[in-house]
Amino acid sequence: MAVEHDPVEKLLLDLQERAKELNCLYRIEEVMNRPDATLDDVCEGIIAAIPPGWQYPDICEAKLTLYEKVYTSRDFHETQWVQNAEIRVQDKTVGMLSVYYTEEMPQADHGPFLKEETKLIRTIADRLGHFLMYRKVKGMFGEWRAAEEDLDGEGIKEWQVVLDLLHQTDRNLFLTVSLKMLNFLCWSGISEAEKLRRSSGADRKSDEDQIEKDSNRPQQVRKFTISNELSKKIFSLASEHLTDDEISSKIEHWIQEDKLNFLIQVVNRNLSISEVADAIRRYHHIGDGVELHSPSRRGVLVSLIRRFLSVQLNYINIAKNYLEITDFYDLLEHVIFSSESHGKLGGKAAGLTLASQIIRKSPEHADLLGDIKIPRTWYITSDMILHFMHYNNFAEVVEQKYKDINQIRFEYPHIVQTFKNSHFPPEMVAGLSVALDDFEERPLIVRSSSLLEDGVGMAFSGKYKSLFLANQGTKQQRLEALMDAIAEVYASVFSPDPIEYRTHNGLIDFDEEMAIMIQEVVGNRVGDYFLPTFAGVGFSRNEFRWSPRIKRENGLLRLVPGLGTRAVDRLSDDYPILIAPGQPDLRANTSIDEQLRYSPRQIDVINLKENSFYTMGINDLLKEAGSQIPGITKILSVHKDDQIKKPIAFNIDYENDDLIVTFDGLVSDGKFIPQVRTLMKLLEKELDRPVDIEFAHDGKNFYLLQCRPQSYVEQDTGDKIPREIEPDDVIFSAHKYISNGKVPEITHIVYVDPGGYADINELNELLAVGRVVNKLNKLLPEHGFILMGPGRWGSRGDIKLGVNVTYSDINNTAMLIEIARQKGNYVPDLSFGTHFFQDLVESNIRYLPLYPDDPGIKFNEDFLLNSPNLLPELLPDYAHLSECVHVIDVPAVTGGKVLRVYLNADQREGVGVLEDPR
Amino acid sequence: MPAFNPFQMARSQFERVAHQLELEDSVRELLSTALREYRFALPVRMDDGSLRVFRGFRVHHNDALGPCKGGLRFHPEVSIDTARAQAMWMTWKCAVAEIPLGGANGGVICDPHNLSMPEQEQICRKWIRQIARDIGPMRDVISPDIMVSPQHMIWMMDEYETIQGERSAGITAGKPVRLAGSMGKEESTGYGLVYALREVLYDMGLSPAETTASVQGFGNVARHAIKLYHEIGGTTTCVSCWDQEDQTSYAYRKESGIDLNELSRVTDRFGGINKEKARDLGYEVLAGESWIEQDVEILIPAALENQITEENVDKISKKVKIIAEGADGPTTPAADKVIEERGIFVLPDLLANAGGAICSYFEQIQGNINYFWPQDEVLGKLDVKMTAAFIKVSELAQKSKLYMRDAAYIIAVGRVAQACRDRGWV
Repeated sequence: MAVEHDPVEKLLLDLQERAKELNCLYRIEEVMNRPDATLDDVCEGIIAAIPPGWQYPDICEAKLTLYEKVYTSRDFHETQWVQNAEIRVQDKTVGMLSVYYTEEMPQADHGPFLKEETKLIRTIADRLGHFLMYRKVKGMFGEWRAAEEDLDGEGIKEWQVVLDLLHQTDRNLFLTVSLKMLNFLCWSGISEAEKLRRSSGADRKSDEDQIEKDSNRPQQVRKFTISNELSKKIFSLASEHLTDDEISSKIEHWIQEDKLNFLIQVVNRNLSISEVADAIRRYHHIGDGVELHSPSRRGVLVSLIRRFLSVQLNYINIAKNYLEITDFYDLLEHVIFSSESHGKLGGKAAGLTLASQIIRKSPEHADLLGDIKIPRTWYITSDMILHFMHYNNFAEVVEQKYKDINQIRFEYPHIVQTFKNSHFPPEMVAGLSVALDDFEERPLIVRSSSLLEDGVGMAFSGKYKSLFLANQGTKQQRLEALMDAIAEVYASVFSPDPIEYRTHNGLIDFDEEMAIMIQEVVGNRVGDYFLPTFAGVGFSRNEFRWSPRIKRENGLLRLVPGLGTRAVDRLSDDYPILIAPGQPDLRANTSIDEQLRYSPRQIDVINLKENSFYTMGINDLLKEAGSQIPGITKILSVHKDDQIKKPIAFNIDYENDDLIVTFDGLVSDGKFIPQVRTLMKLLEKELDRPVDIEFAHDGKNFYLLQCRPQSYVEQDTGDKIPREIEPDDVIFSAHKYISNGKVPEITHIVYVDPGGYADINELNELLAVGRVVNKLNKLLPEHGFILMGPGRWGSRGDIKLGVNVTYSDINNTAMLIEIARQKGNYVPDLSFGTHFFQDLVESNIRYLPLYPDDPGIKFNEDFLLNSPNLLPELLPDYAHLSECVHVIDVPAVTGGKVLRVYLNADQREGVGVLEDPR
Repeated sequence: MPAFNPFQMARSQFERVAHQLELEDSVRELLSTALREYRFALPVRMDDGSLRVFRGFRVHHNDALGPCKGGLRFHPEVSIDTARAQAMWMTWKCAVAEIPLGGANGGVICDPHNLSMPEQEQICRKWIRQIARDIGPMRDVISPDIMVSPQHMIWMMDEYETIQGERSAGITAGKPVRLAGSMGKEESTGYGLVYALREVLYDMGLSPAETTASVQGFGNVARHAIKLYHEIGGTTTCVSCWDQEDQTSYAYRKESGIDLNELSRVTDRFGGINKEKARDLGYEVLAGESWIEQDVEILIPAALENQITEENVDKISKKVKIIAEGADGPTTPAADKVIEERGIFVLPDLLANAGGAICSYFEQIQGNINYFWPQDEVLGKLDVKMTAAFIKVSELAQKSKLYMRDAAYIIAVGRVAQACRDRGWV
């Protein structure tokens, strides 16, 4: 069709073609996914689906030859305009798919065919190959099960099963093993074996004779075959002379030998993932018995770890002790990649894989950790994002990161839309389709697994998207939704926040290849919703301690009912339950009022009916379907008669009781706390660094969803404490109860002088100090000031010992400091912010207690008391409180410096220093 | 310079009343000090095996009118002076409500945030062991105060009963209904306030149906007060409450009168009204402070202390005839002066929110006789007590041309002083 098209029309035509191709794939998927479909149905389905997918449907015909059976379009006749694709199952060609045009058509990429059509026919052929393989393995599994049952009844021997399996899966190896058995029998001096060998033509004796006779002449090459029949004879002979155990062990040994060879070959060459995957698959299928010779095994293993999981030496060093070569089989069975892919699986995948193996291989903790599960997960390799972008011609988007940040911000919404409106390469579509078959209709989460997250010690806070999918509807709808989500996660690589972070940390030139994890959502169907009973995040080091009795190593859990999103994110209007697993009985909220105020009120679920992620009131869900949520009684308490009590089983009235999420039952009864505590301790010990985990619980089982070093979260890394500071520049220092955390540059200090406050003897004046703080909170730059004051901020008891404020009076401060001055022979207890502790946590306001009278502590009272006081100027009505409340404009009084607070919990040091702004 | 001291404050308040009553020095001296003070050490084995010694104490201010009763606090800042002040205040509160009890208070210096529940239980039981012989259902009744919960009360009751070898539920108050608590506790303070308010209106010759009210707060006290006020015919046009999300307070107004049930349905358990839903229901959403500016006959501050101040007292509408103090100390002394000058009738906190104390007294009685009344009976008896208490205070105020707040104190102190004299103590 040599018609000239204008560019727009050309684009439209192209798009139409892509849509046709996708439809064709969908139709084929539909047929393959019908549970009752026979092989004939599938083949006929493919024949029917092909013509509409090609450029000229009216004159397009298809032919499929499979295991000597032929399927064709109606009135089929062969022509010269054809393209073919072999159908392969385990490297063996089992058939051929051909597409014909019945008339001559204009020249395109490959004859009259488009290059996309060449890819499409290849994809269809591959998909059919997978389908056949799947059916075969399924059938084999059935046979094997039957054989296994026979075994109990003294029927088929174990080695016979292995041999059968080998015969069906790896004919070459089967022959090798048969021959080796024959040789072994000969060497063992069994005369019948000699006879067999001669009859087969494998007569070593004559070879040996020849070698002796004529050592300089090349040996004659002889064709040597072992038929199935011969093999049968060999093993029947073997069973006469050897015990079953001997035969089994021999077979295993020879299989192992064979494995080693091809694996070493594969990993030492830079082959594509599909080749490596094939080799590992082979290694796996042969069985997992005798260990490979250790140095080779290590070599192969380390190569595999480096290849797929991480290049970090720290990681490899630990991983090689826990991972086995066969673990990669399970992993690669769930990886989506293109034929040329060389990508990796990213940091999240690496963390989760290693953690799961550490758990599995720590038998000493089996009683607690033995039943921890990992949800079903599929991965898309990191280079597929490039493949995807290349396929859609998005080259210019790669340069996005070098643009001005404002422009990036401006353009980002367009990029998201562009990505969401693009097409996926057929290989990816096929891979995702297989993954969806595996997941069935269970809800999914699509998570990024960035290579940057792999950098040890690198605090990568640039957050990429994670998206939940209900995964409901027809296969086509589910596939579309999944691709849409992946496109959106891909687009998030170009979102302004991570780019800004990467620029700031010198990571911008690093090619961000982002792998994807598609994970089954843990949980149960409850009415129209799908949710885990509870979920949360855990930190092996606690950086938010609400009591001086809680130590850093007691850890911290943030627990929520339903999906864990509300535990991961800091929410200003709702609260997770905080528990220190090392001190589970010391709860952040103790009084009834605190427990009510700081209990979660909302819950994130997947709404299966609306096919969406959904946030709802916990009470609404409980009223609607509370009794259906497995294990919910462990996390609920009943508020009645001014008491909050764990319910007695079956005694909850979901309709009428005032139910509060407390997690009390979980803390006091079950094994959850020891389990999660042991888990974090084990992971911290084995990974040799503090860890941060995500988990979910479906009421029966604990699922680990993620595991990474805690240092990945920038907030949780300790500051480097500057050593060379002018003594005059230190405003305060601290050596007790330090938590890691970042405090922004401070321009204003509000200092409520403990002495001045103690001197006030009018209740009204004491209350006025609280009002001053409230007004300053609104006047001073948000998160640019700190509050320092005596004793207990927000105390509800004796006002004399702490400024009377509520959270709203202080919510713009960057840091809250409580000063404990010695009084006679005792130092008063500080509050540790308990009056609004969770509000501080959720809004990331840091808390620091100061003990100025402790030995070795610096406290620059002179600066705080004698710097010019802004209070009379800012709040003339309260000028009379200037003796007590000091407001210091730091840059104004220090010639442009700011206050910087460095905190390092590991070194137990905190210091506030005057520094030049950055 | 002397530091601010709550006991000094309570004393100076008493001195003012004593002066008005022209009490002799000996009576003043007796009533301005506590009759008995106990201080003791509480060694507690902590969960980690270590031993910590906590300080506990109990103050009996005066039991001339009957057994002591009063709160117990677990707080790192409690001091004997706070307890002295609270105990004295409790003596007056019981006296003004004409219930035969004296005032007490106590505490343990500790922060429950740093203590596990088993450790807290130990503290409760050790506290009782130390003082068991000096308390009892007819000597000193313990009720929950700051950071002390019904659970603590149950542990204490259990320990006391174990020591005594018999059940004596009257030893603690604030227990759940299923375990020797009293019905009507939720309603008591709010209903008590309206029982008294009803009498005020009667005295003024006003029918409740002719009146409107504006209420600060929408918690337990406020809601029960509104409920009963509506039942007797009144109309509430405005309520204000704290908005957690916006970290500020709002007032919700409907000139035709708020519908308590409808508004309660869009309110969280802390008394926070959902702004959007209220707007949908046709409520005007105003700034929180505007509750005080409403053109109503009655203002009911039922949220926090120090809400009517020098700064906003002038915003009170000319139409306002009554301020009924549902909260403790909602009016600052400076504002109080202005209100007194303007001739607005004040139902002072000491009297207006005595309903809670009366119900707690009923709980003690029911525990002692081991017979528990139905809700109607509790509320009926509460009505009788509140009405009687109000009439006495109001008669005195009218007769002696006293400000209601002063009249309430004078009646209270006078009753205790008289009992001390009757007993020949002074």
